Amino acid sequence: MSFVQLASTDIVVSADTITAPAWSTGNSVLSGVTYTSGSGGTTTYLVASGSNSTTTEFSMTYGNINGYGSVLYNILVSGLSPTRTIYGQYRNLVYGTETQNFNFGGLNTSSVDIHVINVNRNAYKQQLYAPTFNLTLTSGSATVRLTNDSTTTSTVTYLDCGRAFNIVSGSNGAGVINSVSTAAGQPAGWTASGSYGLFLPDVGLIVLNSRALAMPAVSGGILLSVGQSTNTDNNNSAALGNAIASGNYFQLNSEETVSSDYIFVRAGNAQFNYTTNPSAISGSTGTLTFPTMINNPQTFPTTVGLYNANNELIAVAKLSQPFVKDFTKEALFRVKLNF
Amino acid sequence: MGYLNGVTVTVDAILTKKGRELLARNDGSFQITQFALSDDEIDYTLYNPNHPSGSAFYGEAIQAMPVLEAFPNDNEIMKYKLITLPRGTAAIPALNVGYQTITLKQGASISITPQTLNYLGATSTFEQDGYIATIGDVRVTSNFTGVGINTAEATQLNGTVTVGTNVSKTVIGTTINITATTVNTLFGTNTQLQTNLVIEGRDSGARVTIPVTITKQS
Repeated sequence: MSFVQLASTDIVVSADTITAPAWSTGNSVLSGVTYTSGSGGTTTYLVASGSNSTTTEFSMTYGNINGYGSVLYNILVSGLSPTRTIYGQYRNLVYGTETQNFNFGGLNTSSVDIHVINVNRNAYKQQLYAPTFNLTLTSGSATVRLTNDSTTTSTVTYLDCGRAFNIVSGSNGAGVINSVSTAAGQPAGWTASGSYGLFLPDVGLIVLNSRALAMPAVSGGILLSVGQSTNTDNNNSAALGNAIASGNYFQLNSEETVSSDYIFVRAGNAQFNYTTNPSAISGSTGTLTFPTMINNPQTFPTTVGLYNANNELIAVAKLSQPFVKDFTKEALFRVKLNF
Repeated sequence: MGYLNGVTVTVDAILTKKGRELLARNDGSFQITQFALSDDEIDYTLYNPNHPSGSAFYGEAIQAMPVLEAFPNDNEIMKYKLITLPRGTAAIPALNVGYQTITLKQGASISITPQTLNYLGATSTFEQDGYIATIGDVRVTSNFTGVGINTAEATQLNGTVTVGTNVSKTVIGTTINITATTVNTLFGTNTQLQTNLVIEGRDSGARVTIPVTITKQS
């Protein structure tokens, strides 16, 4: 009498894509970046936050195929250090094989080292929204403005970690051909050492081409200091952190697909015209307060409750104002339940 | 010529506390199969059948009411359901459970057999599909079961408990059995535990809320 069964056609599942600023500040652009050591004081990776915030927005790390740039785990075992671990970790994640080194194109198809920006999961939600990526890196007097080629590429490349876009010099998802950053014979916004990296939106990673960034400004780089000493901590992650902090412009949006149930609730003209509300009933006998309500009852529903077969209340929705219901009116409410 | 208004009212729903519990339980119970409407916050004394402007304005003061957001606590919302009755009904079904309040000592038991008044032309009757009983905080009972209805859903509800939390528990039956907890730690420094028992007729939609008090014995 108070519950109405829903037909299978009354419930529709829909998915909508929502983009939003990635950073916890609610702003697409992160400025005033500061960084500190990672969990437990490790310098294998650094965690970064924006100005006036302690929320970690992203992490930075450096990987080297030869283990250069960090202290060996064991002096008796050459080549095995945190930077080697990092390189292997991201290589496996991105390419899914131990035989493929990072390929940035140009003259760097088997890169020995990488810098990685790992965006926090809370920030990127389900995936990064590629066209909004803009990152300014500054080292000394050299500056490069990076984006990806997501709006200009005609064929999306898929690696083992999903979509991959090239990071190029330019803005808003398009590389820019100019005499400084674009090497002869290379696509727009590339250097002679290939692209500036790989933008991997599905896993929230930005893999930067350390060799391109280490080049001088006349070749499109920023002369980033990338030490490759054996058994020495060269603080290469910090060099990237300093470049991001000096550039002071890191724009990124997140993207997520929100699945919703749309439930169509239909109240027929003969349904829901009486209420169990105690203010409409006198005493415990159930007699209606107003005699006019006996033949011309009116109710004012404000709430839709959604139940399972056990009559347990799963979800609830409120109308913006009371709806007048009587024997001459039918109602159709579309209830949206987000997951 | 004006345009016809073909707007469907769209409202956003939120999961209730019970809904989240069922989602976490992952046993198939999180499945919406039915709906109900309610008017919890409506004060029908604002209804004015003597309004000078006529019947279209009887509910003027009610319709002007700003509606609150939904409460996620499933015990505090959908309390007063709208029901479907034949036109000309003069009395709304009401529940008689024989108690205005329930006070139990630790370990004590009580059986409640509700009756429905003004339903299907009878002054008093037992509903064929039984009654839904919900205790607001399942921890205050060591036994909370419904008997007399032997459907699969009634059996499932009797056997389901989410441990360690102050969530509600719902059972179905023609008689509801309650045994007060013997666990002392729940009391802390208090001498009483309090919660609500909500009983609702599955056929009639009639509802009653009874305060429940458990008193500490030692």
